[in-house]
Order: sequence, then C-alpha cells, then structure tokens
Amino acid sequence: KKKISILMALILPLLLVLSSLCSSCLAAILAFLSEDAQDLDAYTLAKSFYDLKEYDRAAYFLRGCKSQKAYFLYMYSRYLVSLGPIGRPLEKGQVKNESLRELRVELSKKHKAKDLDGFGLYLYGVVLRKLDLFKEALDVFVEATHCLPLHWGAWLELCNLITNKDMLKSLTLPDTWVKEFFLAHMYTELQMIEEALQKYQSLIEAGFSKSTYIISQIAVAYHNIRDIDKALSMFNELRKQDPYRIENMDTFSNLLYVRSMKPELSYLAHNLCDIDKYRVETCCVIGNYYSLRSQHEKAALYFQRALKLNPRCLGAWTLMGHEYMEMKNTSAAIQAYRHAIEVNKRDYRAWYGLGQTYEILKMPFYCLYYYRRAHQLRPNDSRMLVALGECYEKLNQLAEAKKCYWRAYSVGDVERMALVKLAKLHEQLNESDQATQCYIIYIQDVFSCGEILEHLELSTAFRYLGQYYFKSKRYNEAFICAQRCCDYNDAREEGKALLRQISQVRGEADPASTDLSLPFLYGPLSATNTPVRRMSPLNLSSVTP
Amino acid sequence: MASVHDSLYFNPMMTNGVVHANVFGIKDWVTPYKIAVLVLLDEMTVSKCISLLEKRRLNKLILPLLQGPDMTLVQLLKTVEDCCPQLAYAVHLRLHLMADGELKDMESFFDVLPSPFNETESEAHKSSVVGLFMRHMVLAYNKLSFSQVYKLYKALQQYYKSYERKAPPASDATTDADMEQLAPDSLGRKVEKQDLDPSPSDDDVASTEPLSQKQAEYFLAQQAYFLKNDENKALKPAGLQNELNNMLKFNPDFAEAHYLSYLNSMRVQDVFVSTHSLLHYFDRLILSGSDSKSNGDEGYGRSLRYAALNLAALHCRFGHYQQAELALQEAIRIAQESSDHVCLQHCLSWLYLLQQMKGSDSTVLTEHSVKMAVHFSLPYLASLGIQSLVQQSAIRGKNAKKLINALKDTDILHWKHSMSELIDISIAQKTAIWRMYGKSTMALQQAQMLMNMNSLESVNLGVQQNNTEAFTVTLCHLAELHAEQGQFQAASEILKHLKERFPSNSQNAKLWMICEQKIQFDRALNDGKYHIAESLVSVISALCKTEGLYRKALVLKAQNQTSEAYQVLQGLLVYCEKTKCTEMTIRVMLAIAELYWRSSSHGIVLPLLLQTLALSREHHLQKLASETVLHLAFSQLMLGIPEQALNILHMAIEPILAHGAVMDKGRALLLVAKCQVVTSASVPADQRHQALVVAIQNLEEARSYFDKVDCRDRVRDIFYLQARLYHSLGKTLERNKCAMLFRQLNEELPSHGVPLLTRL
Repeated sequence: KKKISILMALILPLLLVLSSLCSSCLAAILAFLSEDAQDLDAYTLAKSFYDLKEYDRAAYFLRGCKSQKAYFLYMYSRYLVSLGPIGRPLEKGQVKNESLRELRVELSKKHKAKDLDGFGLYLYGVVLRKLDLFKEALDVFVEATHCLPLHWGAWLELCNLITNKDMLKSLTLPDTWVKEFFLAHMYTELQMIEEALQKYQSLIEAGFSKSTYIISQIAVAYHNIRDIDKALSMFNELRKQDPYRIENMDTFSNLLYVRSMKPELSYLAHNLCDIDKYRVETCCVIGNYYSLRSQHEKAALYFQRALKLNPRCLGAWTLMGHEYMEMKNTSAAIQAYRHAIEVNKRDYRAWYGLGQTYEILKMPFYCLYYYRRAHQLRPNDSRMLVALGECYEKLNQLAEAKKCYWRAYSVGDVERMALVKLAKLHEQLNESDQATQCYIIYIQDVFSCGEILEHLELSTAFRYLGQYYFKSKRYNEAFICAQRCCDYNDAREEGKALLRQISQVRGEADPASTDLSLPFLYGPLSATNTPVRRMSPLNLSSVTP
Repeated sequence: MASVHDSLYFNPMMTNGVVHANVFGIKDWVTPYKIAVLVLLDEMTVSKCISLLEKRRLNKLILPLLQGPDMTLVQLLKTVEDCCPQLAYAVHLRLHLMADGELKDMESFFDVLPSPFNETESEAHKSSVVGLFMRHMVLAYNKLSFSQVYKLYKALQQYYKSYERKAPPASDATTDADMEQLAPDSLGRKVEKQDLDPSPSDDDVASTEPLSQKQAEYFLAQQAYFLKNDENKALKPAGLQNELNNMLKFNPDFAEAHYLSYLNSMRVQDVFVSTHSLLHYFDRLILSGSDSKSNGDEGYGRSLRYAALNLAALHCRFGHYQQAELALQEAIRIAQESSDHVCLQHCLSWLYLLQQMKGSDSTVLTEHSVKMAVHFSLPYLASLGIQSLVQQSAIRGKNAKKLINALKDTDILHWKHSMSELIDISIAQKTAIWRMYGKSTMALQQAQMLMNMNSLESVNLGVQQNNTEAFTVTLCHLAELHAEQGQFQAASEILKHLKERFPSNSQNAKLWMICEQKIQFDRALNDGKYHIAESLVSVISALCKTEGLYRKALVLKAQNQTSEAYQVLQGLLVYCEKTKCTEMTIRVMLAIAELYWRSSSHGIVLPLLLQTLALSREHHLQKLASETVLHLAFSQLMLGIPEQALNILHMAIEPILAHGAVMDKGRALLLVAKCQVVTSASVPADQRHQALVVAIQNLEEARSYFDKVDCRDRVRDIFYLQARLYHSLGKTLERNKCAMLFRQLNEELPSHGVPLLTRL
C-alpha cells in the first residue's frame, strides 16, 4: 500500500512533465482533469479515508465516480479490503475469494471495453495473479507497461511472473528507459549477474549516477556473485549517500556476517534499530548480529519476529533455518527451509540448507537431491558443486565426484577447496599425474590471487609434489617443493627428510646438477613461479572457464 | 461491495478467503452443511412417522454424509428426499426458519440440540459415530468467538440462499409472499450470473468444496486404498493431482497429501514429481514428529530411516538400480546405527528384490530375510520372502514338491493372519507355477479358485479386492490357457474383461497387453498370415524384449529366412543362458532344431534335442519336455528309425493329450500317424491294412485339432496324406473326397515350399 501511494506521488508529476513535452498528451491530461474536477471532492475525501486505511469507507464514497483516478482508487481500496484487515496476510491457503472474483469480473468487463488505464490494467493483473491465472496476468501486465511505461509496480509484478530467460525474450515490451531498469532487475532475479551489472553500468553512464536504487542493486548483484569486497564497498557508498535507508540492509548485514565484521555489524544494527525497529530488515540485521555473537536462540527469535512482520520474507526463513542448524535442531531447520521454499521455489540457499541438514544427519544419498536442486538454480556456484562432490565421494561414486570437483573449479571456486579435494581423489585412485596437476594448479591459484590466506592444504600440496618429483627423479623441482614444505609446521619434518634424501641421491648420481639449480632456487619468489611455468604445458585445461 | 464471506464454505480460521495457520490444531469445525446434517439428525430422532424401510435407508446414508465433503443444500436435500421425502421437507423447513430468522435461531438450535450426554437411552449414544459427530460439532460451536459465530450465521444464510437460487420455484417450499419478495432479487442475480459466467470462461475452479482435515484424511485414505487395490475406482491421475493441489493450498501442512501425490505420480511414471513429493512428504513428516527428538523407535529418527528406504523403493520402481542401491545402503546404515530391526528387515527385503531385479541370484539373501522376519515376527515380510523364494527356485528348477509344500505352509500362515492380499498372490503364483510345469489342468483349477474366491475384504468400501496384480496375472493365464485349447472366443472375452478392468493406462495393463499380443501372434502364425505376425512382433518387442526377439525369429523361420532366424536365435540363446531363463532357452533350442531340419541335418539335431530334453526334465517343465520328445521322434523318423520314434512317442503322447495345447495334440497325432504309416511298410499285408486304418483315424483326430486352431496348411497336409492312404487301401470314394478337399485348400493357400513331410 505504501509502495503504491509513493508510486502515485512519483508518477503524477512525471506525467505532468511528459505532458508538457507533447501537446497531444496535454489535451488528454486536460480532459482528464475536467473529469477529475467533478470527482475531486469525493476523491479527496476517499483519499483521506484511504490514507487512514479505512478502505471500505473510501470505496463507498468513490462508488459513483467516473474519472480514471477515482476509479482506480475505488477498485484498489476494494482489492485491499478483499485481502483482509491485516494488510497482506500469508497467501498460502487461499481458497476461494469471492470478492477477488467479483473484482476480476468487473475489471475484465472494463478491460474488454478498453476502458482501463495503466493503473487499472495493473490492478487487473494483480487480481488475476492472486487468482492464480498467471498467463492472463502476464498479458495484462505487459499491456499495462505499454499503457503506462513509467509505472514500476507493473514491471515488478511482471518480474514475479517471469520464470526463465526464454519467457523474458518472448515478451514484447515497450521500448523505454524503464525497460532497462526492468531488464537489469530481471537479470538479477534470473541470476544472470554479469548482464545485470552491465545494464546498471550503462544506466549509471546514462545519467543515473546518483540513484541510490542503482547503487543498492549493484551491491546486491555483487552479493549474489559472492564478490564480497565490491559489494561491501558499494554498500558503504550507499550508506554514505542514504544514511537512513533500511531497504537492502539485510543483505549488507549478510555480507558483514560472512566477513565476521562484528563492530560494523553491531553499528549497523544499532543504527537501524534507531531508525525503525519494526521493520523486517532491521530484525534480520539484528538476527545476524546475534548469530555472529553465537547467541543463536536470540537470533532465531529475531528472525521469527521478522517473519511475524512479513511471513513472506524469504531471507528470514532461510536464516532461521541456519540458526536452527547451529542449534542442532535439525527438524526445525528443515521446517524453516521448507517454508522458504514454499515462499520461493527458486531460493537456492534453502535447498542448499536442506541438503546440508541431511548431510549432517549422515544421509549423503538423500541430500544429493537437494544439492542438485540448488545446483540447478545456481549452475555456476562452486559451493553446490563441491557439496555434491563430497556427497558422491561419501557414496564412493568417485567418477561423479571428480566431475563435480572439476566443474566446481572450472566455474570459479570460491573456497578453493575443490582442487585439493580433486587432487586427493586422484591420489586415492593412484592417478599421480592428475593429482600433481591439480596440486600445481591449486598452488598457482593460491599464490596468484595474492592474499596470503591460511591454507592448510598448501603444505599437503607441496609435500605431495615433493614426493612426486622425487619419485620421477626431477630433483630440482622436488628440492624446491621440499623447501616450501619446511615453511609449514605440519610438513616441516617431512620436508627436511625429503631434502636429505634429495641431497643423498644427488651426491650419488650427479653432483653437478645442484650447482645448476642453485641460482634458480634462490631467486626471490621463484619457488612460486617455477612450478607454474614448468607445468603449464601439462595443464590440460584453461584456468578460466 | 465485497461479500463478507464466501457463500458455502465456512472456516473459523479464514478471513476473506484466506485460511490462517491452524495454530490450535483444530481438525473439524462447524459449517453450514454440517448444521444441515445436524438438523437432519435431530429430525430423525424427533420425528415418529418414519417407516422402517426409510429409517434403514437413512441410517445407511448417514455415514457418507458425515465423512464426505460438504455438499450444497440442493444435493443434500435431494439425497435425503430419495430416502424419505417428508424428512427432507422438515429439514428444509427448519433451515429456512433458521436462515430467514435471526442469529438467535441458530444459537437456540445449538442449545436444544439433544446432547448425547444427558440422555442415556438416546438413539445417538455418546460414543457412537453419530454421537461423536454431534459432540464434536457442539464443542466446535462453543469454541467459536463472537465474530466467528456471526460469520457462521452469515455463511448459513448464504448457504440457504444459494439453494433457493438454484432450486426450481415449483419445489420451493417458501410461501408465495416470500417468493414475490425474492423473485426480483434472485432473478437479477441469475441474469448477472449468466452475464458474468462467459467472461471468465477459463474459470474452472475446483468443483468440490475444500475439505476439513477429517474429510481430507478420509479422502486420502480412500484414494490410497483405491490406488492399491482397484485403480479404476480412484480418480484419474490428473483429477487426483488437482484435488491434492487444492487440498495442499488449503492446508499446506497436510503432509499425507504429498505422499498420495507421490503415489499418484508413480501411476503415470513421473519421476520428477514423485521424487519431489516423496521428499516433501518426509520433510513434513519430520516436522510433525519433531516433538520427540530421540533417534529411537518414535520421533523423527524413524521417519528419516523410512525416508531413505522409500527413496530406494522409488528408484527401484523406476528401474534406477544403482541409485536404489545407494539409497538402500543409506537406509540400512541409519537403521543399523539406531538398531531398528523392523526397518532393517524391510531394507533386507528390498535388497533381495533389488538383487532379483538386477538379475543376480539373491536366494541366500532371501532365505536370510525370511529367517529374520520370522524371528522378529513379521509375518507379512516373511511370507512375501517365501513367495519370492519359491518363485526364484521354481525358475531355477528346484524340487517341485518342496516348493508346492512351502506355498501350502505359507497359505496356512496367510489364512491365520487373514492377509488376503498374500493369499491372492499365492494362488496366482501357484497358477503360474503349474502352468510353467505344463500342467494346464492344475493351472486352470487354481485360476478358477482365485476367480471364485470371496475376498476377505470384500465389504470394505465396495471394492472387491480383485483389481490387483495377482488378478491380472491369473486372468492372463486363463486367457492364454483358453487360447491354447482353441477357445479363442472365450480368450477374447477374458481379454475384453481385462481391458475393462485395467484400462490401458493403469499399472497392470502391460501384463494383459503382452498376453493379447502373444495370442494374436500364435493365431496368425498358425494360420499362415505371416505379415500379421510380423507386425505384431514390434508390439511384443516393445513390451518384452526377449519375447519379441523369439517371435521375430519364429516369423523369419516361417518366411524361410533361415540364416537371419538362426542369427537371432543364437543371440537370444546366449542372452537367455546368461540370464538363466530356462523356459526361453529351451524354446529357443527347439526353434534352432527346427532350423536344422530345414537343411535336412537330422543327425546334428539329436544331441541338441537331448540336451533340451535333459534341461526341461531337470526343471520339471513337462510341456516343453513332451514337445522335445516330439521333436526327437520326428528326427528319428526322418533318420529312418520309425520304430524307435514310436517308442519314445508313447512317453509324450499321454501328457500331451492330458495337458497340452490343441496344436501340440494335433502335431503329436500327426506324427504318430506318420510313424505308423512308415512302420507298416515292413509288416505283412493284413496287418498293414489295419495299421493304415489306425493311421487314418489318427490323422482324422489330428485334423479336428488343427481345425480348432485354424491351422489350414496342416489340414491340407493331412488331406494329402489321407488321400494317399485311402488310395493305397483302395477306397476310391474317400480318396477322391480328400483329394478334392486338398485341392480346394491348396488353391487357397500359397505354398511356402516346405515339403509337408519334412516338418513336425
């Protein structure tokens, strides 16, 4: 409701601006106004009732009005009445809504007579959607966008109805700048993040550089592709420009949570609490805050509060599921995830969460289905693939597991674990060449990304490589690897042992070779680069997919 | 203005068509329909003028009324009227008064409702179905809040009004004044309705009203029962799915609906939806059992185990054996961890089934399973295991006596526990085993027994539990047995019945389809219509690959494409030996032997036939054994040792005449006659004369058999032989007659170039 009234306020001046541009429009507006003038009193009265949320009353006083604006308000009030007294209740279990159907009949008559303006069409579409007549609703919304391209509500509704790319392509949409916004939004929804980011970038260049909406959308998009740093910087920018913003802040808090930035999250939570504590986003942020502090009961409580405020809040269901998982209450977690799926079938996190739950319950085959669903929704997310791979590994389906890990690496592994796991698999299967390759790519990957994170598996990789080179009598490489081994606590002894072995062998076989390798060894950082260069011909597939 | 409430349906949890979460766990509530039923019950106890017959009819009506979904008043009054018109009128009148009156009328109705508590001699005892219903309703009514009572009353008014709108004015009981008052309104509404109806043309909302939880449970139980026992009576898959979707929309936490949806999509072989529904069901089930978090016998640990087990079953049914095995392993592991023996037992029985489906030997597993099932006293699983064991052993040619004995023993167990389903299966299995052993009379007797048996559950829901797989199998055997005896009319009657009972999209339809095709194929082949047979081969192949290949070879053989037929048969032989499918192996070997005859290599055939004979004897396959003997005798005849042939024919002729198919009987007698003719050449003239007369008689009998199955080219051959024999006996008249008949047939039938003597 609030959204609509804001939209109305936004669009009317826009219409005026437009009308000043073309004279024909002006005439239309004038005619509009004369009709409007008749209804002005009733309209104003009804609008006041509407603002007071007395929809029945508003509708009653508008019943005889002729003007489009009054008609819309009339119908819209009736629609809101039909939804029930508590705003928008949970939609599940909607059985048979006579009043909605009455609305539909009336609107369809008007629609046939081509008597509906853009808002009327929008409302008609909404009613159709509520009655589960999605196909008809889609057509009507498309018509509405043609009729009134600047009404974002219609676009948003359209967005809810489109489920895949082909459907999007098949629509004939009006060719306006709003369409760009819509497409960008749609791409984000369909997880086509690259395209979405491009669209937003071009919109910024086209003159929307100050729009906080775009900034927030870009931030969300970065969040979706797990580019945490960029997303964080975008959100910080957003906070600077729009400090009292509550929208999207739950996503921001998710990012802060992932990065374990406690003070920032705490600040955000307190800040939002000051602005408005009865908002879903605020509750989610606070929930995240408690979760980060490992107070999972309280976190769950806040997520529950968020759900009380808006039962259709998808994120809260999923987050609550996570909290229950933390509390080891698997059945409640399953319940929460199932609810999330009920709200939106395309929520990959909920599917993934379900998978995790069953994995914890030690049912690797059972959770395969859930991971697969999640993977279907996010085909390029390495986490699902790694999870799938782990399940297959547990089920001893090593061929599938290998495929999964390799694919996870190819789509860009976030946690950089896929390659190590793949390498270990190869190790298990005695496919030492492949294992070596994987370790090499892994090392290359870790060092090339620059940050020195704690990678426990690095030592394993060097240890294995050292042994491998030693066995295949490539002592230079083995030497380097053994030296690197000594950098890590857990592999130090083995590294030293290997070094001793190497020097022993070299002493017997070819003392000259040590001299040759010396300058090459002591070069700065050469250790990280050499195996890479050496092995690149062996590297069968490109690093970037 | 939007109507305050939906007309027919009332649910206290609902505001403006939206049902809120059922936090109180209320399962049943008062609806206008139920008020009407209450009125009916009340009237029934009060009114004295109901005749005994009417009373009986009414009593029969009550249960469906209580359990079924809400009806409109028109429907309700109509059903009551069929039983007792004056009672319908009384109910109508009281409802009219209540709906046209004020709220207090309804309130007072609930006040005066005879409480089963205080009247001990009341007809509705407090623990009877009716008494419980009334108590439920009074309780539910008392629980309603102020606004809910008002809403209920409004709903009642709407309910009544919608009746008045629909009911024809003549039968309307309202007074004239009322009529006049109502007329413009109702007329106007009618017009409006007609106006409105065409515009939302696609508005096909579910015809039935949403169900309360009790009704939904009843609906689900009923449909699940139908699906298991009598698929025809269940709703069509699409309709059922629609119903379920509606139900889930209305009550999303109703997990059982997901399970039924799983069963339903299994019907139409929809892997995707069935997996989805199954997992959803168990996700939901885990919730409902969440109060006890223990991993013990109750609580959700148990449902987890069964979830994995069910998933295995699903994959198994779709033939994803590898997946099924993985799921099963998982189920077994979890069950072991929590030492749930019952679940483990179930897993074990699935395990041997899985092994069996994969075609490997699972006898040991099955035996073990039976033992364990007996130990944990799970009679169902135990006898299921025994049946499966018997089936396997029968195919592997184990001792027949023991098998039949085992079946008898389990039968005793079944009757003791009155497991009618297993009894059916057991009889069907006996039919199949007898038939496999070639004792058609015994098979026929068993089949008839199943057909004539009254099922133990026949009273339940009006379903005679006879649309199960066991019945299909038995009926198919019956059809084939009749076809073997040349009673094609009877066979087609049975098939027609099968088609009616199991429409082609139902689960068991495949069984009768292949049976029908086989019968048609045999007829076509006997009749020499090879092109028809050829077209049937593709259908058979689609239903059963090995059978299809075998039939293909038969057609090729009949069409003289010897080398192609040989290739197919060789391939099939290898396959059958690998899968240990003895019956088919023997048949294939016999077909190969017949191919050898074509190249007149009768000597080579003998070892092959002897091997076949040994094999069929070992597996107690009497029918195939006697057929092999026929082949052997024929080879010997062709090798010029007719005496020997006659000797061994004596072995076969008896079982063939007792149990064999008409075709086999004809062939046997023809062969006997041939042998007799050949042997007669070496005996003195007077004896020879006698022998030829006997041979002619045998030929005559063989001809009657061949006539029965329309095998006209063999009839032609017989006429030829008879003509020759009559000629040598000097009976010109008979000779000429046979010769003429032969000519007639010879002109009709194309010659296939196989000399008549060089085939069996």
